Formats: sequence, C-alpha cells, structure tokens
Amino acid sequence: MGGDTKATGVSRRGFLASSASTAAVPLAAGVLGAGAASAQAPGRAPDPRAPVDMVLKVNGTDYRLPLDIRTTLLDALREHAGLTGAKKGCDQGQCGACTVHLDGQPVLSCLTLAVMAQGKAVTSIEGLEGRDGTLHPVQQAFIDNDAFQCGYCTPGQIMSAAACVEQGRAGDEAAIREFMSGNLCRCAAYPNIVAAVKQAAVVKTGRA
Amino acid sequence: MQPVPPVPPPMENMGKPDPRYEARSKVTGRARYAADEPVSNPAWAFLVTSAIAKGKVRRFLADEAKGIPGVLAIITHENAPKREKVAFFGDGGYVSTSLVPLQGPDIHHAGQIIGVVLADSYETAREAAHRLRVEYEVAEPVAGFRSPGAQTVELAAVKKSHKDVGVGDIDKGLADAAVTVDAEYFTPTQHHNPIELFSTTAVWNGDELTIYEPSQFVYSLKNCVARQLALPPEKVHVINPYVGGAFGSKGAPTQRTALVAALARQFNRPVKLVVARDQGFFITTYRAETRHRVRLGATPDGKLTAYGHEGWELTSMVDNYDVAGTENTAEMYASPNVWTKVNLVKADRNTPGFMRSPPEVPYMYALECAMDELAVALNMDPVELRRINDTMKSPINGAAYTSRSLMKCYDEAAAQFGWSRRDPRPGSMRDGEWLVGWGCATATYPTNMMPSAARVRLGGDGSARVQVAAHDVGTGAYTVIGQATAEFLGIPADKVVVELGDSRLPPGPVAGGSMTTASACSAVKVACDRIRERLGGSVPADPKALAGMFEKLKVGSLEEYAEWAPPGGEKGLAALHEGRMGGGSAERGGGTPKPAMFAFGAEFVEVRIHSRTKEIRVPRITGAFAGGRILNPRTARSQYLGGMIWGIGSALHEATEIDEKRARYVNANIAEYLIPVNADVPLVEIIMVPEVDTQVNPIGVKGIGELSNVGTAAAIANAVYHATGKRIRDLPIRPESLV
Repeated sequence: MGGDTKATGVSRRGFLASSASTAAVPLAAGVLGAGAASAQAPGRAPDPRAPVDMVLKVNGTDYRLPLDIRTTLLDALREHAGLTGAKKGCDQGQCGACTVHLDGQPVLSCLTLAVMAQGKAVTSIEGLEGRDGTLHPVQQAFIDNDAFQCGYCTPGQIMSAAACVEQGRAGDEAAIREFMSGNLCRCAAYPNIVAAVKQAAVVKTGRA
Repeated sequence: MQPVPPVPPPMENMGKPDPRYEARSKVTGRARYAADEPVSNPAWAFLVTSAIAKGKVRRFLADEAKGIPGVLAIITHENAPKREKVAFFGDGGYVSTSLVPLQGPDIHHAGQIIGVVLADSYETAREAAHRLRVEYEVAEPVAGFRSPGAQTVELAAVKKSHKDVGVGDIDKGLADAAVTVDAEYFTPTQHHNPIELFSTTAVWNGDELTIYEPSQFVYSLKNCVARQLALPPEKVHVINPYVGGAFGSKGAPTQRTALVAALARQFNRPVKLVVARDQGFFITTYRAETRHRVRLGATPDGKLTAYGHEGWELTSMVDNYDVAGTENTAEMYASPNVWTKVNLVKADRNTPGFMRSPPEVPYMYALECAMDELAVALNMDPVELRRINDTMKSPINGAAYTSRSLMKCYDEAAAQFGWSRRDPRPGSMRDGEWLVGWGCATATYPTNMMPSAARVRLGGDGSARVQVAAHDVGTGAYTVIGQATAEFLGIPADKVVVELGDSRLPPGPVAGGSMTTASACSAVKVACDRIRERLGGSVPADPKALAGMFEKLKVGSLEEYAEWAPPGGEKGLAALHEGRMGGGSAERGGGTPKPAMFAFGAEFVEVRIHSRTKEIRVPRITGAFAGGRILNPRTARSQYLGGMIWGIGSALHEATEIDEKRARYVNANIAEYLIPVNADVPLVEIIMVPEVDTQVNPIGVKGIGELSNVGTAAAIANAVYHATGKRIRDLPIRPESLV
C-alpha cells in the first residue's frame, strides 16, 4: 500500500532526526526505512502504530512531537502543538479551511501528513501577525472589508489570500476570485474577500 | 439610491458601521471554537453509522477493531449507557429527532449512529471504526416523494396547533379570473454545511458536566442534556463563544451530545468527538424537499382574484417536522380568496429541521415563480403585477402591517439594476453566444421575537459589560449588542465588553428566526434604562462627574439584570430559562388581531446562459431591503450579501442527491454537494431602504439574517425563463435542465 511505503520512508527520516548517535545510523545511510526499523527491534515486526518522534518547525519554533505516523499536519498543529488557528472543515481537501504555508507555498494541511512537513517551514495563521502585534496587511484588510462572518474559514482564506498577494496573482478581480475559489465560505463573504485581497495587494505594491 | 459599499456611510435610522467586535480574534486565529478547546488527555470518539436505511443490526464483528492497541471501547446498542427519552423539539421538547441512538438494533434511516469507538487517539478511533464489521437485516426503505409506499398525511391531522390558513372561496376566485396559472414546483433536499464540523467535547468535574459544542441555543442544549442524563440543569455548563456557521443546523440539540457526555462519565475521562463531514449529513438535520401546487387567478388588469397553495414536505417516520410556509405566503399579496393546505410525506430518512428561512425559501420560491408566470400570461411587467397587488393589511385577518416598504424596495432596486431597459420577450436580449435574462422576485421574512434576559454592569470608570446567552453565528451579534449597550447607556462602543455563548450567562434567544437583535437588545435596553435612571437619567460623559455619582451612591459599579418579553409573550419567560423554543418563541406582539410584522425586499438578477453548453452564470444581482432599524449597516450588508449568494446556490447549485433505492445521500461531502465559490459570484449590489417602525418592538428592529435568501431562487428561475423561454420549475436549475 502507498500509505505504508510513505510511512516507512518518512519514519526513517524521523529516526535519523531523533537518534543520530545510535548504531543504526551507518545502517540507515544505505538501507531503506524497513531495514532501519528492524535494526531497532531485531527479529520482530515493527509496530506501524508506534509513535514516531517528529520535529516540526512552525512559525519559527521547533515542536518535538511523538506522533502516530498517520497524523495529518492539521491534527498535529491543532491537537498536539496547541495551534488551533487552522481549522478542520472537511478533512479531505475540499474546503480550504486548513490552509497553511509550507516553505511559503499554500497547502491543505489536512491532506499533508505531519511527517511530510518535517524539515520545512510551516507558517500558520498564528505566525502572520508581527511580534509587536501588528497585523499582516491581509489580516487588516479582512477586518476593514468585513471579509468574514462566522470566521471559521477565515484563517484558511487569509493564508490563501496572503499567497495570492505574495505570488502577484491579485492583478484583477477575476484572477482573485479564481485563486480564492479553493476556499469555501458558507457565510458567503466572497465579494468582501475579493475587496480585502485587492486592498492588501495595493498595500504590498505600495511598499514594493 | 446607491448600493452600499463595504463600509457604509451613515444613513437614516441606522447605527454606525463599526467593524466587528471580535474581528481581531477571528483574523489572528485566536477565536476559540468548540473543537479548539484544549482538554487534558481526551479519549477520542469516532462514530459508526448505518450503511442501510431500514432494517436491523444482526450482529457486530468487533474482534479486529477491539484488537487495535489504544482502543478503549466499542459501544453499541448492546452496551451503550442509558439516556432518558426527551421529546422532539417540534412537539414542545428539545431534540432534533426523537430517535435515541444505541437503544436497540432497529435502523430507521441511513447514517444512523449504530456505534461509537473510543480510543486514545483520533487516528486509532477512526481506524477501529472502519474495521468494525456489521451484519444487517435489510428492509426496503422509502426514500422520498416518488418511492412506492410513501405515505402522505395532512399536517392539520397530525399537528393540533396547525390550521391551514385561508379566506373567501378559491373556486369562485378562479372562476371569476380572466387569467389563471396552475403549476407545480419542486425544491430539493439541502444541507446547511457550515464549514465548522459538528463536534462535542464533554468534560466531567465531579458531578458537574462541561460541554464544548457549537450551538445556536446553549440554554436548550444545557437543559436537554440535563434531562437526558437525569441531572439538575445547573450541573450542566455549555460553553461556545464562537460558532463556525450554523444556518439552523446547530439549533435543536442532536442526540450525540448526551451520548458523548454519558461516555465521558462512564470512562472517567474527557471525550472529544469531531463528526466527519459525511456523517454530519445523516446525524443532524437538513432542509427537506418540498413539492407545491400553486393556483393564481387575476382580472385582466392584474388584480388577484384567487391564490391557492398546496405544499408537500418530506419528514421522517419517527417525527413530524413541518415548515408550513403558507402561513407567510398567504399574507403576501391582496387576494380576496386564499386557500392553502400543507401535507407531510413520511420517509425512512433522518428528521429534517430548520435551515435558513425554513418556510420562506421553498414556499416563496413557488409563489414568486407563479407570480412571474402570471405576469407573462397577463403580458404585464412583473414589478407592476406586485405593485397592483401590494397591500398594507393582511389579506387573511385584516391586521395592518406595522410597516411595509415592499414597493419602495422594488423601485430602488429596479432603478439601480436598469430594469426599465428590459425587453420582456424571452430570448430577446442575446449577447453573442450568451442568452441574457433578467428576472425579479420578492423577499419577505416575519419579525419574530422571543423573551430574553440580559445583565449590564457599568463601572465607575465608564466602561460597561453586557452578558446574555445569545449567540454570534457570524451574524454580528457581538457587535450590535455592544453597540446597543453603548447607545442605551450613552457611552462609547469601545468601552463595552460583550459576553455571549455561555449557559451561565442570563438566558437569551435561540440564534434562529432572525430574532437575536430584536430580542436580546430589547432586554439590554431595559437593563440600561434602569442603570441610567439610577444615575438620574444619563451617564455623565465626564469621568470625574461619573466617579462622583458612584461615590454618592456608595457603589463601585451599577449592575442590572433584566428580563424582557414581547407583548403577549410574558408566559414564555419561564420557558426561556428552560431553553425551550416552544412556548416563548416567535411571539408576534399583542392585540387582536395581532399586527402583521414583516421585513421585505426585492431582488433583481441577470443570468447568462451559453447557447451551446447551457452553462448558467449570474454576473450580477441587486437587492433592496427594508428591515426597520439597522443597528450596524456594515454587518447588515454582509448578512444581505451572504443571503443572496445563498439564493444563487439554492437556484443553481445545491441539492443533496438521494439514492432512491437505498434512501442514502450520495453526495455527502462538500465537494459534490455544490455551494457557490468565489468564482461564482461576480457582482452583488445591496441597497438598504431606510424604514422606521415604532410598533414592532422597543428598538424598532425587524431582524434581517434570513431575509435576503428568500426569493432569490425565484428571481433566477424567472431570469432563466426570460433568457430561454423555458420555464424550469424544479430546483436546482443546472445545464442539464436546459438541454
């Protein structure tokens, strides 16, 4: 199964990150994950459900978390790192509420396994605000344009909007609407979201 | 009148367009929704739901699931904790369905809860739920209207309080008519699909239970669960300061909460359940499908002589849920002869429930399409047909409208839209490969109120705190309750702290029926008036003067708890503390006959339909609305905006598809259950028509959250007719409807 292959491959990476001084290191350098795991417990099948030590770099801080290999990045953030800004709206990549940035690119954290995010910079909504409390231009624009109602999809909308502006995709309203259409808003604040992205884009180009 | 920009300038009888009270917490991710609440070492619950719609669970094969490390328990009807039965809310009780899960092997609908897996982690609970094997005894279900064996009952026969409204003689009215319309319409099953998933976290501390759950009515949830678990209500505490969208789906408590709470007690550990999106379609409620037969008769100059409306609504086998929208549509236009009848059709489905404008959306769709058909038959402009039949008193009992700005809305929206440039001939407004159609329809929503309490405290420093167990489901309740407190006390709005969404606060209204502002702010006004009285009539703006007054009164702060009920609704105050929707809700003021209290609007849409592919777009939509006093035009505009986009979804996208053979929802996810996305919504223009109504309630507020999604689908269907000459009477209208 694909999932199993992925899981073993990445557990090797987690193994390397957490136990660099053990005897398994020379083995692991040339052998696949299964070999590394079996070196851990000779003669016994590895427990696929055993927690794997992972290190996630979120908003500039390292989180060392022992996680079930099946844990999504979204659940790792919400249930293990205490960062509940990213929201679960479908858990299957349909709504966009869980959008975070991985090395600057917007990704659906519910479709990203936590192990896949290791070694990359994760930015969540909590990391957008400046340390002095200054809001990111997109956050301010969402307030100014009443670009949300219930606020549940908002962290995902803002992360997508920030990427939209950052990637220069906010040229006109049609382009913004297209870019932002992966983020569902059931309150339907869409026209205000477009207005907010436009405002933030002006702020950015004004600065540039 | 110009469309309102996102930050509206001050307008007549409207408050300040302050940004949302909770805006900063929502854009920074700090707003804590129910499932965000951190709890210590929770056991994770994952539901096991029925694969069949009717029959029995013969047995569970649980060995494999039980053997997974970390699984704490597999709960089925064989070992589930007992809960007391509480009546269906429609019968004066609480719950969204009277069907108590895990009390026996019988299956009454697809997706019924038949098991719960408890495990140390979410991943393990989910795996075990998928590995639990179930053997069923399968029976043939009734899926819907068309199923063999579907049983129709007259609503009046099964619901004592229902009376089919009418006046005059429909047969005579039709016989007298020069022009008649007789047509049938259909609206599909729709699911609310708020983006926030349904969830429940239950934590016990001794004999006290705390529940974190998205709710539109925390007092109802508290009292319901207390009864189900045989606890004194004061032992149950519901905390839910933010709701991630609701639209009716989080109104009546579902059966899951008491089950989760009982398991938390049994296992002596917090239990957290986040219901998967697909399971949410089955374990909560939905807007039921409806059928309509509408008959209209009119004189050659367009005066209605007859309006007949028969509705059929789907409900479950176990509960009789109804919306009976004819009560409102019968009030809509002046007709001397009105006849209505509502029927229920029983099916093997989960019990339906409130969804944004529950009666008005389907029933006004049918009426407003029929009005357009009548205008075509009369060769008359559809706006003029509404004008000719506008009325300032109820056609049923003669009660006067407290205010009715319907035609003002039509005129303002028509002017902005450019309606006078419309060529009425179908198919006449082509633009290259695109067929262009313009249509319009009426929006209406009754002014509902229920009793509310509130507590207001004014501090010696001039700051205030207002507390009410009302709910902000995205409506702007935090903002307008704060603004109202500031206004009634005469202090700046930024000096007010607002607390909502907690069952330990004074009881407030359900976030339903568009009645939070009118009800909660009326109670806030009573409390604020009393505080001002104690200060001799006003709160002095000068801090020193205020401090002096407090010194003289020998107090550090002034606090008032107040209860308010709409005239004639005083008996509902006791029901309010019990969190009951019946008894105290939706009172419409006193007097005989009770005054007719409604908000109105008019909506105009342009559709463009590709002549070859039949792709349907809505490039622009204009709505004008009058809803009495508007406390905050910024949040009000957003409500109208969202509502009209809901209307676009209702017309063109939304439908829960049902497997007719298995009575199962086949698109139970938010990708295949289509809702509008940003690219579907180019231009929405909102016009707010100022309206002063001194009779509806002490603050002149009608309630607007459910106004603007009424009529939109009809306006779009009427525009589709204008574009193509095809009258599509079944929703949603998709390209295949036009091929």
